[in-house]
Amino acid sequence: MSNPITSIKLVLLGEAAVGKSSIVLRFVSNDFSENKEPTIGAAFLTQRVNINNNTIKFEIWDTAGQERFASLAPMYYRNAQAALVVYDITKPQSFIKARHWVKELHEQASKDIIIALVGNKVDIIENDESERKVAREEGERLAEEEGLIFFETSAKTAENVNDVFLNIGEKIPLKNDNSSPNDTTITEDQRINLAASANATSEASSCSC
Amino acid sequence: MGVRSGSTQMAERSSSEVGLVSSLMKSWRIASSSVPTSSSSSSPSAVKNHSRSPSKKNSNSATNNNSSKSFIDDGNFCAMSKQKNSTTTRKSSSSYSPLRYVSPTLSSIDSPKSSFFRNQYSKHHNQSYYQHGNNHSTSTLEKSNTDSIKHDKYFQDLDEDWSAVIDDYNMPIPTLTNGGNASPIPQSNTSRSRPNLTRSSTSSSIATNAGLAMTPSLQYPKLPSLSRTESPEVKSQAELENEREAQELTAIMQRIDKFDCILQSKHIINQQELKEISWNGVPKPNRPKVWKILIGYLPLNIKRQDSYLKRKRQEYVNGLNHISSNNHSKDTAAWHQIEIDIPRTNPHISLYQFKSVQNSLQKVLYLWAIRHPASGYVQGINDLVTPFFEVFLTEYLSQSQIDDVENIDPQTYLTEEQWSNLEADTFWCLTKLLEQITDNYIHGQPGILEQVKNLSQLVKRIDSDLYDHFQKEHVEFIQFSFRWMNCLLMREFQMGTVIRMWDTYLAETSTETTNSIPYTSSNEISLPKTPIQRNASTFSTPVETTSPSSYGRSAPVTTSNTTSVNSDDSTRLRQSSLNEFHVFVCAAFLIKWSEQLLDMDFQGIITFLQNPPTKDWTETDIEMLLSEAYIWQSLYKDATSHWL
Repeated sequence: MSNPITSIKLVLLGEAAVGKSSIVLRFVSNDFSENKEPTIGAAFLTQRVNINNNTIKFEIWDTAGQERFASLAPMYYRNAQAALVVYDITKPQSFIKARHWVKELHEQASKDIIIALVGNKVDIIENDESERKVAREEGERLAEEEGLIFFETSAKTAENVNDVFLNIGEKIPLKNDNSSPNDTTITEDQRINLAASANATSEASSCSC
Repeated sequence: MGVRSGSTQMAERSSSEVGLVSSLMKSWRIASSSVPTSSSSSSPSAVKNHSRSPSKKNSNSATNNNSSKSFIDDGNFCAMSKQKNSTTTRKSSSSYSPLRYVSPTLSSIDSPKSSFFRNQYSKHHNQSYYQHGNNHSTSTLEKSNTDSIKHDKYFQDLDEDWSAVIDDYNMPIPTLTNGGNASPIPQSNTSRSRPNLTRSSTSSSIATNAGLAMTPSLQYPKLPSLSRTESPEVKSQAELENEREAQELTAIMQRIDKFDCILQSKHIINQQELKEISWNGVPKPNRPKVWKILIGYLPLNIKRQDSYLKRKRQEYVNGLNHISSNNHSKDTAAWHQIEIDIPRTNPHISLYQFKSVQNSLQKVLYLWAIRHPASGYVQGINDLVTPFFEVFLTEYLSQSQIDDVENIDPQTYLTEEQWSNLEADTFWCLTKLLEQITDNYIHGQPGILEQVKNLSQLVKRIDSDLYDHFQKEHVEFIQFSFRWMNCLLMREFQMGTVIRMWDTYLAETSTETTNSIPYTSSNEISLPKTPIQRNASTFSTPVETTSPSSYGRSAPVTTSNTTSVNSDDSTRLRQSSLNEFHVFVCAAFLIKWSEQLLDMDFQGIITFLQNPPTKDWTETDIEMLLSEAYIWQSLYKDATSHWL
């Protein structure tokens, strides 16, 4: 804990109901809920992890997926250092949407933003491979072309969820001098807040879109 | 916003006579129902008194005056009470908002036309607030019952005081530190009056002023007992509690009678009256019908109701038939989106987990979506449909089962025809509601962005400390209030309280809009029914005001809309919309937490506001909130003139 805390602003993007909020809920409070209310606007959550003796604090904006809310997205990805672009491996349409998001991020977001492409809901194909509609290779290819981190995950079973975030965390340069004074001074408070934010997730704000 | 429009109109009528005062009053909706010419002879001392402290405390003292003056016709006493008010309000020590206690009563005088309510209100209020003026109040009690003209005159005095305040408000914008949380009314005073106030405000379940009003026999025995409370300790809480329970029962029955009376009028239902009484809550048994009328679905003409319902319900069935016919090319994207949202609508309420209910809502939402292509289905509308559905469902349940509506599968008690009627009514009322807030859901959601902006401006004025703190912490209003606007705060409250809130919201809906006065967004609604459906694309840019004449409607209102300087009456009516009131409710809601929020950092604030501690909120809490919102709206009406 002697090392300063690095904050990472991270945004989740992707079509409605691909599981953005569920991925965050899994990462932040290791929980899953089958039917979560659709996210409206965006939800804010935080989580801390230790990577190589450094504490990294993820400040996560989980955005709403429906097209109508898309105009809000720039507000959230503009200052983001990392982005999760999520699609549903059983919904080809959501992969097309993911492509669009990647493109938009490259054009509009900060130049050195770290993007992870995430194909969610692998639990569905565990018993029935025919449910898969987006081949793993397709995802891999897009990731390679665009220089993205790539994972296939399941928020339901927790498969690979933490790995996505840890992988991002490792790629973020540690900014020893750049963390805000808050981060170093009121660490305890923020720990408490963390629990609160976990509550927020399960109570009101998150969903699987 | 029909409810309060009365005062505006009346005030305008006599505006030539009173000049400045009444023109100020026009923007001031706590107004008397008539403005006698003598109003210019206001006591200057009183005006001064108020203008000296143009802070929030003013609102308190002024509203207190409001109540005291309405029944005290003795000049000396009047002065005395005024002084009392101004002194008490300066002692700022308790952490209670004065509005919290004054507000419920204000909501009962929010119907400026109804001197009946006001009389009752003042009687009621009198007892609790001014026990020391016992002799006077007893005598004036009788007077206020009979002499409503005089009564208005007392209110007129009030308006002058207010106008002085307004003058001050027009100067530098007064800021209320800490959202008025640190506030003035002495505890002893408020704690005595509080039980009465809360009782009178919790109307759908408990007594109301109007209810009490109907039995003088209830009123008079109360006087002596209340006057005893001059020494605050004498009256125990338990005593009050007992008294309350007894009165509640009678009052509920009386209130239901009152609603029945309005609903069963011979020919035409008095909409204004219905709105006024509904603002304070609708009893459960009356709710389905009242909502249908308030929203503008059910005709006011009793004789037309049955045939109209029959026709609309058939229209809905026809719409469904069309969807399932081959002529309809299914909008699969919309259907799919609704399909995935239905199971996650109100996931904590078992009613919405029943397959039968999900099928119904799917149909209603999809039909709405394809009939409103400019907006289409937007997440959040799935929330807005549920209060209608749930309330209308109670029509088909016996009285004893109404409270269980969220637990019984409707499939077990609804006939096929009832299902269809239920869906149709839900569909049409959802349509009517969304007509009022179309801008919230069209491309770019300009209605919501506007409201978020208005909210931030309002908070900047009302609670600059909080606003500054948000700035410092880089909290943007859109980050937490977007959802408040998109779902009308439904995600912030439990269903029961939401439904109570909607009593008021539906009473706030503007009849003018429902009667389709030309306005960019409301035009869109009627289009799909007509062949010019393709024109819907015109409305994708909502800021641009389409010429209403092209749709065969009169132009003047739209022009006055664009030039909002025009204080044309119809503009005023239009402005007082559901959206506007909702912003004030959001402001009241936000400021409620001001103290806590001031101690939080960015993360704390956002996290808190994403999940505010409203789980245990009762109807009374909601009513307090609505009343506060109403007061804010009255106080800052001038600030909103440039809004819409």
